[in-house]
Amino acid sequence: MPSLQGIFDTPGPVAAAAKRLKNRGFTDLEIYAPAPFPELDDVLDPKPSRVRLFTLIGGLTGVVTGYAMTIWMSIDWPVMIGGKPFAAIPTYTIIGFELTILFGALATLLGLLLVGGLPYGSFGHHDKGYDVRFSAEEFGLVVGCRERDVAEVDALLRAHHAKEVNLVEG
Amino acid sequence: MTPPPALSVAESLRPEQEPVDSKINRDLLQVMEGASAGYFLLLGATLLTVTAAALTWIYQIYIGLGIAGYTHPVFWGVYIVTFVFWVGIAHAGTLISAILYLFRAKWRNAINRSAESMTVFAVMTAGMFLGIHVGRIWKAYFILPYPNQRGLWVNFRSPLEWDTFAISTYATVSIVFLFIGLIPDIAIARDRARSWRKLLYTALALGWQGTSQQWKAHSRSVLHLSGLATPLVLSVHSVVSWDFAMSIVPGWHATIFAPYFVAGAIFSGFAMVLTVMIPVRRIFGLEEYITDYHFDNMGKFILLTSWIVGYAYVTEYFVAWYSGVEPEQTSFWLRAFGPYWFSTWTMIICNVGFPQLLWFRKVRTHVPTLFVISTFVNIGMWFERYVIIISGLSREYDPAVWGVYTPTWAELTILAGSFAFFAMLFLLFMKVLPVVAIYEVKELAIHERAVASEGAH
Repeated sequence: MPSLQGIFDTPGPVAAAAKRLKNRGFTDLEIYAPAPFPELDDVLDPKPSRVRLFTLIGGLTGVVTGYAMTIWMSIDWPVMIGGKPFAAIPTYTIIGFELTILFGALATLLGLLLVGGLPYGSFGHHDKGYDVRFSAEEFGLVVGCRERDVAEVDALLRAHHAKEVNLVEG
Repeated sequence: MTPPPALSVAESLRPEQEPVDSKINRDLLQVMEGASAGYFLLLGATLLTVTAAALTWIYQIYIGLGIAGYTHPVFWGVYIVTFVFWVGIAHAGTLISAILYLFRAKWRNAINRSAESMTVFAVMTAGMFLGIHVGRIWKAYFILPYPNQRGLWVNFRSPLEWDTFAISTYATVSIVFLFIGLIPDIAIARDRARSWRKLLYTALALGWQGTSQQWKAHSRSVLHLSGLATPLVLSVHSVVSWDFAMSIVPGWHATIFAPYFVAGAIFSGFAMVLTVMIPVRRIFGLEEYITDYHFDNMGKFILLTSWIVGYAYVTEYFVAWYSGVEPEQTSFWLRAFGPYWFSTWTMIICNVGFPQLLWFRKVRTHVPTLFVISTFVNIGMWFERYVIIISGLSREYDPAVWGVYTPTWAELTILAGSFAFFAMLFLLFMKVLPVVAIYEVKELAIHERAVASEGAH
C-alpha cells in the first residue's frame, strides 16, 4: 500500500486536511509536528487523553499509601512521642500529601509512556513517513491509501497548501 | 591537476537549497557543540573545587564532625544553612515551569529548561548537605521507613521525617519534569547528531517522532505534572521551614515561617536563574531567544518577592515586640545588634535594599546591573538562612548557655564546593542536552507564522 506524505508549514492546514481525509474514510493517517498544537491534538483521536486516568489513579494510590503507611507503622510498634496520638493525622497529612504528588507524577510519566506509545519502534529506526524536517519546523501528514486513491489524496493535500507531496514507499 | 568544475550560470543563479534544518534548531543546538578554552578552564576550576570539598568531606567522615565549627549551643551550622539555601534555589525552576505554565505566561518558554535543570542540580546539591551534616553518614538510611530487625519504624511526627519525604519527592518530580520536557528536544538533537551523541540521544529520545498521539499525551502529562508540581513547590519550602518553626527556639517558632520561606525561595531562585543565564546568554549568543523582555519580567518577579521577604522581616520584628515574650524580643534585638549584626544587615541590604533599584525599567533592562543585583540577592539569601539558624540557636532562653559560632575552614571549603558542584553540573548539562526548550520556542514561532499566513490566505 502506498503512503503519501504531505509537508506543511503551519498546523492549521494539516488539521483541515486530516479532518477532510478522515471524513472521506481514510483511516491510516499520521500527523507529525515539531511542537504541540492544540488544533492537532483531537483531529485523529477526539477522545480526551487517557493520561489523566493515570494521574488520578497514581495520586489516589499515593494518598492512601501515605496515610496507611504512617498509621500502620505508628501502631505496629507504638511509641508514645510528645503525648501525641499514635495516629497523628495532621502530621501524617504531610506524608500523605507528598506521596500523592510522588505517585501521581510517576504514574503520569507511566501514562505518557503507555498512552504516547513510548519507547517507540526499534532502536534508531523511524516510520517510513517520518522526516527530519518534522523535528525542524515543518509538519507532516502521512496518508496510507490504495493505489487508485493516490491522485485524489495528492490533490487534496495540495488543495490544503501542502508545499510538497511525496510518495513514501509502502 | 583538474580545474574545479565551473558552475553553470543557471546553477549559480538558482536559489540556495532550502536547508533541512531550521534557524531555531541551529541556534539552540550550537550551544552543545564544541567548547572554548574558557569553558574547560571554568569546568576545571569547578572540578578542582569539588575535589577539594569532597576530600574535606572524606576527612570529616574520618575525623568526625569536630572539624566543623559546632559549639554549644549551635549544632546546626553552615551545612544546614547551605542546605536551606540550595533547596530555595531549587524553587525557581518549578515555579517557572509549572506555575507560569498554568498561568499561560508564554515568556517562560525560553528560560524554563535552564531553570528546571537548575532545580534538579540544586536539589542534588542540597540533598548532599543532609548527608554532610549528619556526620555518621553510614547510618543516614535510618531516616527511611524500611523493615528492619529492630522492628522499629521512623517517627512520622518529626519535621525531619517530613523533610525527607518532601525533598525526595521534590527531587524525583523535578527529574521527571525535566526529562519529559527533554524528550522532544532530544529527538531534535538525535536527528542531527553523529557518533556517540547519536547513540545517546537515540536511546534517550525513546523513539519520539512527534506524532499527534505522542504530542497529545505529552501535553497532557506536562499539564498534569504542572498541576502536581505547583502545590509541591509551595509545600517543599514550607516543610523545610517547619524544621525550624516546629521547635520552640526564639526566632524560629513562628507561623509566618512557611510563606516567608517560600517567598524567599522564589526570590533567591529567580536571582540564581538570572545570575546563571546572563553569562550563558552572552557566551552563547542567545540574545534572540532570551531577550531583555525575559530579564525585565524576571526583574519584576524579584522585586515582588523582595517586598514579600521584606514584609516578612518587618512582621518578624513586629511579632517579637508585640508578643511581649522577652526571649523572643532579646533574640531579635541581638540579631540586629548582637554578634551576628553583620549577617543581619547584609541580609537586609542585599534582599530589600538593592532590589529596589528594579523599580526602574532602565535597571531591569540593563544586563550588567541586573547581574550585580541578582548576585547580591544570592549572597543576601544565604545570609538570611545564616541569620535565622545561627543567631536563633546561639541566643536561646538561658543567657548562661549562649555561645558564638564561627564557621571553620572545613565548612567554608564544602560551601565553596557546593557552588562549584552546582556550576559543574550546569556546565556539563549545557554541552550534553539542550539548555533552551527548543520545541517550546518553536511553538511560539510557528504560532506567530501561522497567524501571519492564515491572515494572508
